[in-house]
Amino acid sequence: MRFSSLLKKELRECLPWMLLAAIVFIAVTSVLLRIETYNENNDYRYSRFSPGTVISNSHYNLTNYPTMNEIGPWLFVLSVGLGLVLGIRQFWIPNFTRTWPFLIHRSVSRITILAAKLTATSMAFVISIVPIWIGIYWYVTRPEVFTVPPPLRFFIEGWIFIILGFVTYLGTALSGLSTAKWYTTKIFGLAFAAVVMLTTFSQWSLVWIFTVIAVSTAILLSQIFQTFLRREF
Amino acid sequence: MKIKNKFQYIAKPVKVFMTVLIILLAVSIVQGIFIEIERSYTRKNQYKAEEKPEANLSQEEQRQERIRRSLKEFLPDGTIHLIDRVEHISGRRDKVQIYDTNDNLLWEGQSDKKPYEYLSWAEQLRSDFSQQDMKRTQAITPGFSRYIEIPVGLEGSIEQIWRYHPGAQYFKGYDTRGGEIGYIGSNGFTESKSKASAFGKFRQFTAWCPADSFNPILLLQTQKSIYQINFEKKDVELLFESTDTDIRMIRLHAWRSLSPDAEEYIDRQKYRPLIQIQTNDRKQHLILQEPKEQFSFNLRSPSFSATKQAIFVRNYGSDMPPVPDIKSSEKVIEKWTEEVQKKSWNMWTELYKVNNQGNLELVNRYNYTSSPVSGPAAKNRDPRPAGQRYVSQFSPLMYDLFIRYVAIRFWPRPFGYGSGNDFFYDLVLIIDYIRPHSSIINRILSALMMVYVFWHGWPRRTSWGGFVFWLIFTGLLNIAGLLTYLALNHTAVIKCPVCGRRRGLAQVNCVRCKTQLPAPERGKLDLIFSA
Repeated sequence: MRFSSLLKKELRECLPWMLLAAIVFIAVTSVLLRIETYNENNDYRYSRFSPGTVISNSHYNLTNYPTMNEIGPWLFVLSVGLGLVLGIRQFWIPNFTRTWPFLIHRSVSRITILAAKLTATSMAFVISIVPIWIGIYWYVTRPEVFTVPPPLRFFIEGWIFIILGFVTYLGTALSGLSTAKWYTTKIFGLAFAAVVMLTTFSQWSLVWIFTVIAVSTAILLSQIFQTFLRREF
Repeated sequence: MKIKNKFQYIAKPVKVFMTVLIILLAVSIVQGIFIEIERSYTRKNQYKAEEKPEANLSQEEQRQERIRRSLKEFLPDGTIHLIDRVEHISGRRDKVQIYDTNDNLLWEGQSDKKPYEYLSWAEQLRSDFSQQDMKRTQAITPGFSRYIEIPVGLEGSIEQIWRYHPGAQYFKGYDTRGGEIGYIGSNGFTESKSKASAFGKFRQFTAWCPADSFNPILLLQTQKSIYQINFEKKDVELLFESTDTDIRMIRLHAWRSLSPDAEEYIDRQKYRPLIQIQTNDRKQHLILQEPKEQFSFNLRSPSFSATKQAIFVRNYGSDMPPVPDIKSSEKVIEKWTEEVQKKSWNMWTELYKVNNQGNLELVNRYNYTSSPVSGPAAKNRDPRPAGQRYVSQFSPLMYDLFIRYVAIRFWPRPFGYGSGNDFFYDLVLIIDYIRPHSSIINRILSALMMVYVFWHGWPRRTSWGGFVFWLIFTGLLNIAGLLTYLALNHTAVIKCPVCGRRRGLAQVNCVRCKTQLPAPERGKLDLIFSA
């Protein structure tokens, strides 16, 4: 009962950002889908080669990004942005408004409070971005939409962007909870999330990417729990 | 045990790991910036310093040096010429001098105007799509990863697109008017996915358009096989298959039918199409066309060429001790380098012909000697640029241990062949680049930092285990260890009211006199406030 009340409170605070992310994502997707289908019909994607020549691969002439690849930066920025905003909303704003003691000193355990925050954020991602992403993939892989539909890896990579948004949230939360000075180790949570992103973007193996993300999530979560449960507010 | 107490056993080491990771990264970035600044200022001087002053060499030494560095080229009748590059003119043009084997100057002038036509040899692929390129293509970016797609069609339009699926290791075809065409795998074209066979683990490919077509043909090398794929005809030809060992390297000569103005053009009126394949068991396999023939040889590093009249093999050799294995220790490699540099060695270039039975017949051989390396180059044990040397003094000792005992044994590939968008190999290369190379100064700096940690940590210590851990940690990680220690252990100290010496506030008893922290005196209103 207490948990659900806290969850409702957190969701209520997340709602504007969830809606904003969903609206922007839907709007951008609609525009990109229109442009992509138009360009696909104009056959712009494939370069022609001259007879009797070696096709130099120095410019990756025989490689292409999948159709609808322009949606990637939007999905990535929206996920990371949502993670950042929710992290700030849940763990930084109470520092500025000095409302931590009001929340903590209730007849509810700290772990319940933290679980409500984490669940609300997970739900915010699932409600605002995930269904749209699944919908996009389902639509663009229909045979009549594109000549060469994006492969399954395209869908999985989209999920990676969404998970990176959650990692950013965890990094922001850890930085928000840290009692260190901003110029010492306070920003290490965010810095670690940035390192995870850099590491992910220099990987080609999906197994390694998911391993890196899983390990880093465990690292951030364990410290968030430790700090939140022991810290004085 | 309370949940928050359970968490501390995981969270504390994890916090140390996270902090040291970020600090190591920050230190590496700073080191990289210093190295690049130093390099940009000293690049010109560095090149000058590396050039050996020929004026110090005797006339005979200069002659030997010229012979050593000259290209040894063969005329089709087996005659050897030595081509010495005197100076660079522009682009691919050089001023060259051509000598015969008796050291008589035969010709001098621009390299593209030389009056002799030498045998050309099979070369490693220049514009290939390698395994590193494949990884680079598959690397995730904010715009997703890329895919190999081969367009097939007429001059004005694309009718088919064949996409390579790295996981399934086959091509899937799409019709641009809609619908799927089928699959191209090692067993050729099939319409169903279940019948398509995988090509095998990808290694590299080269693609070209034949002189009469706009559509690419692919020469695909996998771990053990080489295929030629014609997408227009949906045809797959297995050119070579190694049953036992992997393919190490391939070279081509006149294999691709190119137009005369193409960069890698070889005249197919003079030469037969040829693929040279080296397998990991050091065997050389030769695949020829017009007519189709296949040979295998046990040679170390030969080059092949096949004219319409004969098949030639060029082989280089020397009596130098063999290069130590890439997994060998640094000392073994250093010893080998020293030995090779201090003596002069006999070297030779040989030309063989392959007879009808597939055996080699020696046509010509040229012997020469390498001169020993004199002066500072032979004695300098750490030839790294000054900036790199200075900056690496702040690198962790652990980097040396990691490279020496882990990386060379388990990840030898980056040292041998470089890398390319492979995170772990790139990481190993970066660590190797900035490691301290057992420098004394690095050890002294680490020791000084340990002394500082001892001085700083003694009054603040809460347990002997933790205190010793931080000392060793700083010793192994140098500046990154010290910064991590300070980031996680800097607590305030007070003057102990009993013994008067400094003590930390993290534990109740004074580390010097074992006296407890004094409790505040009870006041009159304490009873009210504590309630």
